[in-house]
Amino acid sequence: MRSPHTASLELWGVRKEFGSFTAVESLDLTVPEGSFFALLGPSGCGKTTTLRMVAGLEQPTSGVISIGGRDVTGTAAHRRPVNTVFQSYALFPHLTVLDNVAFGLKRKRVPDARAKARAGLETVQLAHLGDRRPNQLSGGQQQRVALARALVNSPSVLLLDEPLGALDLALRREMQLELKRIQADAGITFVHVTHDQEEAMTMADTVAVMNEGRVEQLGPPAELYELPSTAFVANFLGRSNLVTGSVVDVGEVLGVDVAGTRLRVPVGRVSAGSTGVGAVVQLGVRPEKVRIVANGSEPTSGSNVLGPGKVTDVSFTGVSTQYQVDLGDLGVHEVFAQNSSGAPEVRVGDAVRLAWDVDHTFGLAGEPARSGQ
Amino acid sequence: MSNPRRRPPADPMVRALIQQARGAAAARRASAGSAGLSRRQFLTVGAGVAGTAALLAACGTGGAPGASSSAAPSPAADVSDAEKLVRWANWTLYLDQNDAGTEYPTLNAFTKQTGIDVEYLEDIEDNDTFYGKVSGQLANGDDIGYDIVTPTDWMAGRMIRLGYAQELDLANIPNAANLVSTLRDVDYDEGRKHALTWQSGFGGLAWDKAKVPGGMQSLDDLWKPELAGKVEVLSEMHDTIGLIMLSQGVDPAGDWGDAEYDAAIELLREKITSGHIRQVKGNSYTQDLVSGDCWACIGWSGDITGLNYEADNRFDFVVPEAGGTLWSDEMLIPVGATHKKNAETLMNYYYEPEVAAQVAAWVNYVTPVDGAREVMEKSDPELAADTNIFPDDETLAKVHVFRTLTPAEETKYNGQYLEVIGA
Amino acid sequence: MTTVAPGPAIGVAAPGTGAPGTGAEDVAARRAGAAGVGLMLPGTLYLVAFFVIPVFALLATSLYVPVPGGDVGQFMPAFHWQNYVTALADFWQPLARSFWFALLATAGALAVGYPIAYLIAVRGRGRPLLQGMLLVLVVAPFFTSFVLRTIAWKQILADDGYVVQALHWLHVLPPDGRLTATSFAVVVSLTHNFVPFMALPIYASLERLDPRLVEAGGDLYAGPWTTFRTVTLPLSMPGVVSGTLLTFIPAAGDYVSASLLGNSTNTAMIGQVIDTRFFRLLDYPTAASLSVVLMAAIAVLVGLYVRRTGTEDLL
Repeated sequence: MRSPHTASLELWGVRKEFGSFTAVESLDLTVPEGSFFALLGPSGCGKTTTLRMVAGLEQPTSGVISIGGRDVTGTAAHRRPVNTVFQSYALFPHLTVLDNVAFGLKRKRVPDARAKARAGLETVQLAHLGDRRPNQLSGGQQQRVALARALVNSPSVLLLDEPLGALDLALRREMQLELKRIQADAGITFVHVTHDQEEAMTMADTVAVMNEGRVEQLGPPAELYELPSTAFVANFLGRSNLVTGSVVDVGEVLGVDVAGTRLRVPVGRVSAGSTGVGAVVQLGVRPEKVRIVANGSEPTSGSNVLGPGKVTDVSFTGVSTQYQVDLGDLGVHEVFAQNSSGAPEVRVGDAVRLAWDVDHTFGLAGEPARSGQ
Repeated sequence: MSNPRRRPPADPMVRALIQQARGAAAARRASAGSAGLSRRQFLTVGAGVAGTAALLAACGTGGAPGASSSAAPSPAADVSDAEKLVRWANWTLYLDQNDAGTEYPTLNAFTKQTGIDVEYLEDIEDNDTFYGKVSGQLANGDDIGYDIVTPTDWMAGRMIRLGYAQELDLANIPNAANLVSTLRDVDYDEGRKHALTWQSGFGGLAWDKAKVPGGMQSLDDLWKPELAGKVEVLSEMHDTIGLIMLSQGVDPAGDWGDAEYDAAIELLREKITSGHIRQVKGNSYTQDLVSGDCWACIGWSGDITGLNYEADNRFDFVVPEAGGTLWSDEMLIPVGATHKKNAETLMNYYYEPEVAAQVAAWVNYVTPVDGAREVMEKSDPELAADTNIFPDDETLAKVHVFRTLTPAEETKYNGQYLEVIGA
Repeated sequence: MTTVAPGPAIGVAAPGTGAPGTGAEDVAARRAGAAGVGLMLPGTLYLVAFFVIPVFALLATSLYVPVPGGDVGQFMPAFHWQNYVTALADFWQPLARSFWFALLATAGALAVGYPIAYLIAVRGRGRPLLQGMLLVLVVAPFFTSFVLRTIAWKQILADDGYVVQALHWLHVLPPDGRLTATSFAVVVSLTHNFVPFMALPIYASLERLDPRLVEAGGDLYAGPWTTFRTVTLPLSMPGVVSGTLLTFIPAAGDYVSASLLGNSTNTAMIGQVIDTRFFRLLDYPTAASLSVVLMAAIAVLVGLYVRRTGTEDLL
């Protein structure tokens, strides 16, 4: 059932300063109605501040926030059609679980608040614990109560502030799936703040990667992964092998000279501002797209090839094997190879070349790679 | 005057009861697990709920186990010659001080002259409170830490009656002959064997001259309607009731009884319930005079003289026409005092007219020492003419000492009084 | 009487509760038990010496009778229960008044103390220097004596003082109206003297309050006032309960305010009566029985209150 109340969320030029520190710089965001939107970034990137501004717990220094087309910038928190699942849950310790869930309904003077709260508890399978106090519940149970407490109000937008941060891995996986199911069932717009890229990609329709108060890139997880537009995104969202070179050929496919080796990249996969001859660009490829070309074999045509380099580490992880290959001046590159039959046997110390499809190459503006993962 | 009301428990049955009570108390203490000196036991019990010790001790059960059946405790041994010290408990602001308020000139002179150190302690705040604190130890014959205490006459009378005061050796106090004649024959210490007056004072009318421009002559002036809500009386029963009795034509020193007392208390009750009397106060009535909450009151002579030094003669005091009360604070030596001879030496010193004049010039109360006025006439004729310090015969004729009450009367009349003053 | 009875009883229980283990364990347990006795001993002795014995002495004294023909203040042991009847008949008014004044003072101290505590704990959050300074100001009255503070009120509320003059000018007080020697003055003085006792526990409660709970209230459609009523206030109840107890109990037994600022008709409090019965009249049985009644009444009232506020577990 799709919630009738759900609405889109828009931020226009939202900026937040704390004294001389700018937490969020001129942010423009559009979260479509009914979507599962993730704000992903390292701690201190401004994602929680953004969320708190949407909730009304912080006032933006400038800019406009609108929910369902209605400007709510100056509206107090308790008058906004949003609810928050707080990082530490913030359950009221003096109220029973049921009263916690009924809290918002009672404030809105919804008839049958307790019955609706009980129904809300049922959706998180905790109806039997309604009479307990929050401190008598486990972390996962408290998390569900917090979720139910927010959801029963059928908010236009549900805000989740690192909601799974305090849970252990197994529980986190379970809750990720459950949150996704609930979101799909309720059809409410979710804005989910997290620093866990895997969590963001697993759950969200749209991910906004934030860094230093800015959105670096926004889009569906697969798109962000396949075609990162900044080195930060390329490294924060999964791993990337990056090299720097200058454009020598222009056309549908750019030719880039990297330390004397000619690499190619489709011009549509380059997000650098300038792609003329002589422009400095970074080329990147995901480790799992890279094949190891052992001594004596030849890469297939239509591949970019780098090397030879020396294998410095081989780690078997079950479904795949991870290789570290030192390409000298071009740095250490990673290769993730599926453990399917026919893979070449490579050992530490072997000299190998690396090859990948031109179509898997992506191009970024030519700045040196920032330290990332 | 003879006093048939002094009544030690001579009845054998009563004595037996007291004995029994004393035994019970001793047993109770022993079972509390504390062995050792009786004083220490006393402290163990007493340090808890305030005054519990006094409860136990003061109810006549405080005697040391195995003490003789005699009701009065026996005096302590005198170590005066070995220890040149005397400890004196007095009221506040009751001894001449230097301008800085740090030294007592006459005491310093005494120490210089005799070599006896004086521990002077302003420990008496209130007769009853002080008695409540020390009566348990007194009953035991213990040293209460003072060699001289200075309670008011009626309290001195009770202590003497109970045998809590040592008999003075007048051979050590030749100056006792200087005691003014009006105070030589008092019913609270017949024959003046136990107590010598420190200072005396009058209970009378006091008022703010600006607020009561017509002044006051009699107690009835206090009940004028324009003073409603601005009048205070003393919580000291003897003065308030004494003045009311005098205004009703009863001599508080005379042979009066319940009827006279009741008449006085009824007048007081009426003035209190009607709100004419704003408050019933102890020493703090002077604060209300200064703050303007009180315009006219029953007060003490020396207080007003003292206030006027600071307040530019703002107040006046008079002994009413119908008569005022005369009270005395009496120096006596508690039964457990260990420096009796030194204490007597000190009393003798303060009964020298020169010394008495020096004190009188500072404390402004009535001095009980003959000859002090003559000394004062030379140094400060104005003060010597003040009848509140050196009363003339006319004034003395008007003042009366409240007669000593029997224990039963004390309980009854004080209870009635406290009930009326709402305390 | 064995004064240390509670100690050994508990100490002996410790080894007994354990399963019959090895000898070494037994010895260890016994040693722990002995240590327990050692630790219990000072507290137990203290309680016996300064609480149990005095209370028994008080109870005993409350039943004494005067020694026939004895002097003032001489009593002997008896079981004269009539003392209670007489004391209550004579002094039920000051007793009831004490609780009424204490209630008013507690309400006043709450009205003054809660905002102060809120201001310091919540508004001052994150500014420890400011909080510290404000706390010192709250405690500052303690630096002067209780009696001096009460006397100061006498000056402030005096007929010729600014307060009364201003109230006359504003016609709030009739021309012959006054503030000293009234129950108002007594209650004001009680209130003032106990505000810190109220404010400090509430401050401690509010200081512990997680600000995210307040945010959660706002997030769940509760306006500032509703959030205060439904979240902040209930969570600060332990402080409010301690504060009201710390105010009410001593205020009910207070006698300084009533004797300095009261009058003779309608302000006498039971503490004052006990004081005068004890020290002025030396009527120890009456003073003791009134003390017992006061203690019992306070114990009952406090018990009902704590049960009613449902904060036994929060105390």
